[in-house]
Amino acid sequence: MTRLLKKEFALAMHPITPVMLLLAAMVVIPNYPYVVIFFYISMAVFFTCLLGRENNDIVYSLNLPVSKSDIVKARFGFTVIVELLQLALMIPFALLNRQLIPDGNQAGMDANIALFGLGLMIYGLFNLIFFVSYYRNVDKVGVAFIKTSVLIFIVAGLDVFSTYAIPFVRDCLDTPDPEFLSAKLLFLAAGIIVFIALTALSRRISIRSFERLDLH
Amino acid sequence: MTVLSVRHLNKTYPAFKLEDVSFTLEPGKITGFIGRNGAGKSTTLNSLFNFVHPDSGEISFFGMDFAGHELEIKQRIGFVSSGVNYYANKKLKTISRVTSSFYNNWDQAAYEKYLAMFHLDENKTPAQLSAGMKVKFALALALSHNADLLILDEPTSGLDPVSREDLLEVFMDLCAQGKTILFSTHITSDLDKCADNIIYIKNGRLIADCSVSDFEQSYRIASFDSAEAMREYQGISRGQRRTRKGCTALISAADAQTPGLKLSPADLESIMIHIEKEAE
Repeated sequence: MTRLLKKEFALAMHPITPVMLLLAAMVVIPNYPYVVIFFYISMAVFFTCLLGRENNDIVYSLNLPVSKSDIVKARFGFTVIVELLQLALMIPFALLNRQLIPDGNQAGMDANIALFGLGLMIYGLFNLIFFVSYYRNVDKVGVAFIKTSVLIFIVAGLDVFSTYAIPFVRDCLDTPDPEFLSAKLLFLAAGIIVFIALTALSRRISIRSFERLDLH
Repeated sequence: MTVLSVRHLNKTYPAFKLEDVSFTLEPGKITGFIGRNGAGKSTTLNSLFNFVHPDSGEISFFGMDFAGHELEIKQRIGFVSSGVNYYANKKLKTISRVTSSFYNNWDQAAYEKYLAMFHLDENKTPAQLSAGMKVKFALALALSHNADLLILDEPTSGLDPVSREDLLEVFMDLCAQGKTILFSTHITSDLDKCADNIIYIKNGRLIADCSVSDFEQSYRIASFDSAEAMREYQGISRGQRRTRKGCTALISAADAQTPGLKLSPADLESIMIHIEKEAE
């Protein structure tokens, strides 16, 4: 599995991925819907799958002495690593945001602990919708991405809406740290659980679909 | 021990059916796999590795069922295809470094030997290689993990005659070293040069599985001045092919004594063309 993961980074990864990771720094932009930053990582994963189709990544992988399920597991491993890496890179910029923009964000969630929970939920949703669709037919990467994009933008809209209209979000989650710390930590924990559950579910479904798929 | 055994392979698509395909490969021989485009060559090859799931049939490599020994079997097989271009913009050395990490028997010295033999520059990318060099690179990767069986899917299509000849010589050298080669192609003249055995697939069914010489000797080509002249032999002639001087037909060797026939030896291409013409 480690060798397949190395292959994901050395051969399969789209070169835009590191750039998308660095966009974690956008969390210092004043009054910006920060949830959009999570969308950039989904674009990097989409581009990697698209590039893989053009580079015959799946045919190459299938010829290696590995099983079909390991190929799916490696792609999930790659995705989870870049998603978590983006969150890790976001931490120092979120701290900087606190210094630079003490009034908070007027366009959606503040750059606080709850944003990280929301990010994990978005990643989990992306992993579920994108990969379940992609591994049903690896040639139709675009279809998988359109489904995911629509969903992410609905979530982004809800994010902005809820920070104005839903009292719990507006008054508790969308506040500068360390206010309402325990509620935000609980929300982060919920994010972690949603991320793990949706990713694990997606991985199981994807392995089963990919096993059944006839590749030409 | 057979290197590859395929028994009663069946796969049905809405517009195509692979029916009861069975064959075995002899070790240390080159076996040509021929058939028209769409005859079922790729479906058969893709079924070998379960890329395509057969409806029924048994496939075993080196006496082991593919299902339970996939990884072990793949360690001993090299698959080379001319049409496939992996990671067009990555350097060859990056691709080979990653590939080598998957094989227990990777032989770096052998890899370097093949790079030199094929004049491959590791700092180039596949996009910078000609069609022939791409096949040679894929071949170098396959050979460097000491594959016992090489499955080559149309490795010579798109190559110029000299490159094809070079590659065929490499195949014959490998065969002399005990490697087994399954070679799918529709360039039958390549098989005339190097294949020992032949498997011929037509409309999803095998119609020949024998040595190239037995296959060629079981037919003759009869030449006729006109289509009318050929009609006299309608009962024994197969497939009409127009030539500048009239037409030709395929005759079974058993009918070669029929009086009045102008016969010449049959090669793979002429046999295949006449058989396919007969079906039209």
